[in-house]
Amino acid sequence: MIFLQYAIDALSVGGLYALAALGIGLIFGIMRLVNFAHGDLLMMGCYAMFMLAAAIWPVTILGGVVIAILVAVITERIAFRPLRSADPTILLAASFAVSFFLQNFVLMIMGGRALGVDIVPALNQHIVWDSLSISVLNLFTIALSVILMGGLSLFLARTRIGIHMRAASEDVRMARMLGVRVNLVVATAFAISGLLAGAAAIVVLGKTGLVLPTMGLRLTLIAFVAVIVGGMGSLTGAVIGGYAVGILEVVLGGLLPLVILPYREALIFTVVLLFLLFRPGGIIRVAALKERV
Amino acid sequence: MKLLMSLMIGFTLALCAAGFSSKAQANDDPIVIGAAIALSGFVAPYDDGPLKGLQLAVADINAKGGVLGRQLSVVTADTKSDPAQGTNAAIEVLEQGAEMVMVTCDFDFGAAAALQATAAGKVTFSSCAGDPKFGVQGIGPLAYTMSLGTPAQAATLAEWAYKEKGWRKVYVQMNSMVEYFKSLCSNFKIRWEELGGEIVGEDVYNFTEVKSFEGQATRMKQNTEKDFVFMCAATFDGPSLIKQVRNAGENTPILASESMDGNFWLEAVPNLSEFYLSVYGSMFGNDPNPQINDYVAKYTEMHGQAPFTAHSMTGYSLMEAWALAAERAGSFDSDAIRQELDKFVNEDLLVGPTSYTPELHINLYRGMQIMEVQNGKHAPITRYTAEKVPPITF
Repeated sequence: MIFLQYAIDALSVGGLYALAALGIGLIFGIMRLVNFAHGDLLMMGCYAMFMLAAAIWPVTILGGVVIAILVAVITERIAFRPLRSADPTILLAASFAVSFFLQNFVLMIMGGRALGVDIVPALNQHIVWDSLSISVLNLFTIALSVILMGGLSLFLARTRIGIHMRAASEDVRMARMLGVRVNLVVATAFAISGLLAGAAAIVVLGKTGLVLPTMGLRLTLIAFVAVIVGGMGSLTGAVIGGYAVGILEVVLGGLLPLVILPYREALIFTVVLLFLLFRPGGIIRVAALKERV
Repeated sequence: MKLLMSLMIGFTLALCAAGFSSKAQANDDPIVIGAAIALSGFVAPYDDGPLKGLQLAVADINAKGGVLGRQLSVVTADTKSDPAQGTNAAIEVLEQGAEMVMVTCDFDFGAAAALQATAAGKVTFSSCAGDPKFGVQGIGPLAYTMSLGTPAQAATLAEWAYKEKGWRKVYVQMNSMVEYFKSLCSNFKIRWEELGGEIVGEDVYNFTEVKSFEGQATRMKQNTEKDFVFMCAATFDGPSLIKQVRNAGENTPILASESMDGNFWLEAVPNLSEFYLSVYGSMFGNDPNPQINDYVAKYTEMHGQAPFTAHSMTGYSLMEAWALAAERAGSFDSDAIRQELDKFVNEDLLVGPTSYTPELHINLYRGMQIMEVQNGKHAPITRYTAEKVPPITF
């Protein structure tokens, strides 16, 4: 029974990480941009939900998701589009700037105090079954991540713009020559990453009940780890990486003796180091990313 | 060359004249109290209350005729929540003539400003740094804190849980990222075992960001022996932990310290029950001590909103303490004020009876108000003082 309890925990945490990793992986695949501001899209979504908390819950969560999408599209238009042809390191620096700006913008308006909010009361319930107690939020997280991942893969496989997106992620210049409208494709990718961040925001806010300007930091870092483990540039890799990190986190939390517990995060990052050393391409290697000589 | 010489002489004369004139005026000018604290950034919420408490104390003191017949005025400088900026902020308030300096409610974030201010020979108070290092041993003889020392907070909670609640088996849940939490939990365990209590489970996590606590909640729920959970966390992580623990169907009582004070986070856990904590005073107008309710009313009138937490009372009381010591010393000389502060024995301040000695500039035997939260409402239980505090280490 305890195994099943941990399994559900792991699938739920993994699902959240996979959603975040997908958002980062998608943008990296198309633009070679490691978007460190991804967690701040989530943070903006959470604050929007906090401000809309008085409304009925569908309005609250929809508002949060829409704000996350809007912020994603606006940052693309203002910060990243002018730098599209720049070096990846410059793009990375720009994403730090966007992240710093968004955090300080919220800090200035809302202050640095952690504020409590309860967005969807139904998610606080738990189902008791034998000795098992499953929180509704965990089931919701698992379902939401599966639906979004399924939806995204359908979108990429079946729709015209999805196919253009895959073409652009293989070779932007070639895709453009063949008539792919890169601006539209990139803007759509950002909108999707905003949607994923907004969905993750519902889960994070449901779990933590708190908003803080720095709340996106850790998830960005974990998602980045997941992307590296899974394989830079591969969406399947990002999902696998997300689940791998989530499962690792829950298993280590359950099994480690007390003296090592505080170093759990360090152990997770050690795994990343090992990957970077011995399998820098991640679990799934992407051919398009190999240097062509 | 001649022109240059005459310019220099003129400039020097002008400077001297300015110096004399400011000295001549000095007796009518207000005494400046400097606050070198975080006005912006992530530490700002912790300094906001103490500053407003300090401002209220200054208004109260001025209304009664000031200190030694002199009015007080407050100047502020922003550390921007950056320990390294503390030095600059202290210099800024000292340049504006600060005679006493208040620094951030934390050893790590307040130490730099305190070192600068004490080096300039000014009495320096941290509002609520709970680390006994904030004093003679860690900063210098002019540094004081109005906080109740962390070992004493831990002992207060342990004794109350053991003697008043009759709890015997504790599950200790700690965030090891912050010194205050580590000190709180380790001192709690020392006092708990001294009392004869049993530690039946422990868990540790290590970060300061908002995150989910599935693992911690499941681990806690596995432990069926415990009478209650002792939690060393603050409002940036504690509410999320409590939320997930309660969502997992774990309804054991939870005991926490003043770092969980305030009701601004309660929305995170709707209808929270069986939650207990110690605070400096109740900020909900229902404290058994009418002075504290008066304070809340006056604070609300002055600042347009009630204090978020009772930490603001430490800002009020450090001003009370300094004014009392200056009156007794009959002078604004820092060393004379220090000598009077060091003679404090159970002085009746807003935060409670306050004592200092030449060696110890933090309080260890002062009561804390124990509060309970049931159905999302705070209610005071009792004011409780520890009988025995684990030996402090610097």
